[in-house]
Amino acid sequence: MKRCQNCILPETFPGIRFNEAGVCNYCQAYKGNDYMEGRRAEIRAEFERLAQSFRGRGSYDCLVAYSGGKDSTYLLHMLRREYAMRVLALTMDNGFLSPQAEINMQRVTKALGIDWVVVRPRSEMLEAIFKRSLQGPLFASKSAQRGSFICMSCIGLIKFLSLRYAIELNIPFLAFGWSPGQLGYRAALMKNTPAMIRSMQRATYEPLYNVAGEEVRPFFLEERHFQAADSFPYSVAPLVFTDYNEQEILPTIERLGWERPTDTDANSSNCLLNALANQAHKQRFNYHPYDFELAQLVREGRLSRDEALARIMAEENAVIVRRVAEQLHLP
Amino acid sequence: MKSTRQIIRQFICDNFIVSDDDFTDTDSMLDKQIIDSTGILELVAFLEEEFGIHIADEEMVPENLDTVSRICAFLACKCPDRVDQLDVVTIG
Repeated sequence: MKRCQNCILPETFPGIRFNEAGVCNYCQAYKGNDYMEGRRAEIRAEFERLAQSFRGRGSYDCLVAYSGGKDSTYLLHMLRREYAMRVLALTMDNGFLSPQAEINMQRVTKALGIDWVVVRPRSEMLEAIFKRSLQGPLFASKSAQRGSFICMSCIGLIKFLSLRYAIELNIPFLAFGWSPGQLGYRAALMKNTPAMIRSMQRATYEPLYNVAGEEVRPFFLEERHFQAADSFPYSVAPLVFTDYNEQEILPTIERLGWERPTDTDANSSNCLLNALANQAHKQRFNYHPYDFELAQLVREGRLSRDEALARIMAEENAVIVRRVAEQLHLP
Repeated sequence: MKSTRQIIRQFICDNFIVSDDDFTDTDSMLDKQIIDSTGILELVAFLEEEFGIHIADEEMVPENLDTVSRICAFLACKCPDRVDQLDVVTIG
């Protein structure tokens, strides 16, 4: 399969075009590290200013959507130790967490002295959503470029559940461990407003409601939340505007007791379902759901092209895929 | 030279992988599942860079960004010297 000579995007990626040198249009449009660093520095400064101004106003300074993977673990460390924030971690257990991920979360929250809430949705609801996600598109086709539909469904629930918690507890920041490859710099810090969130929620809620009905309601905002405009938090993705580098992240979180699970696929450090989700995505679209994220990390020099290719090419663990399929009662 | 409307439609078609026939200037791009929640922020980043403006948090509302015609109208107010007023008059 032909791939960009600079990043890793394949010829099957939607909208891709190559020049004579075999470089894709995404790389050609990239404005360079100096430009990106300038914009990120602006956002970092704004976040630090806001964090200072909101510090100590409520019970917590920041709610972190905590998956137990390497990125959100590093995020907890960063906010707690570098920004001295009072952090509440929130995990949605999708039923497919690696046992090692659960151990990691217990160790890390204890080591950092962080309060931690775990929400375990009913397995029947999640099973219905995940099975439907395997059958075909649930969301805008653009979503498929950012990840598998299973991931998009799961993350959709987590995003709005976290937002609901942040509003109810009046926490001024809601932080996610998106990598610089997963989220553009402009989205790394934004004030949520009821009008925009109402539109965004509709785009996620309605497809999931059509699958699971009323059971999804507790994971989304209700009218009373939209009326509490003053309690809407900033969404922030600090890894996007910091010096994100896996080689530095891993030793830091390992000192907190974090160990990489051995049963997840090459692109996840917490979720067993990811392997099945990746496999289904590749079969449907003929490109990898992590192509876009890893390509951007390569473009920015945060990950070597060889390492990115190795992750994309790695076959999913057939034993794990089969076990997950059985848990979902797939034929 | 492309009009404001053409620039916006071109960005949406290129970035969200849709055909020009898939949406009208008054279609809600969120409701039609052309743009997802993250995509709105990509659109904001594009508008800021293309038109040299800063879109404030309180301006990030569907009334300004959800359709091509609303974006054109928003830009006409935000940076009247940078946009083709005809777009707004024609489709607004």
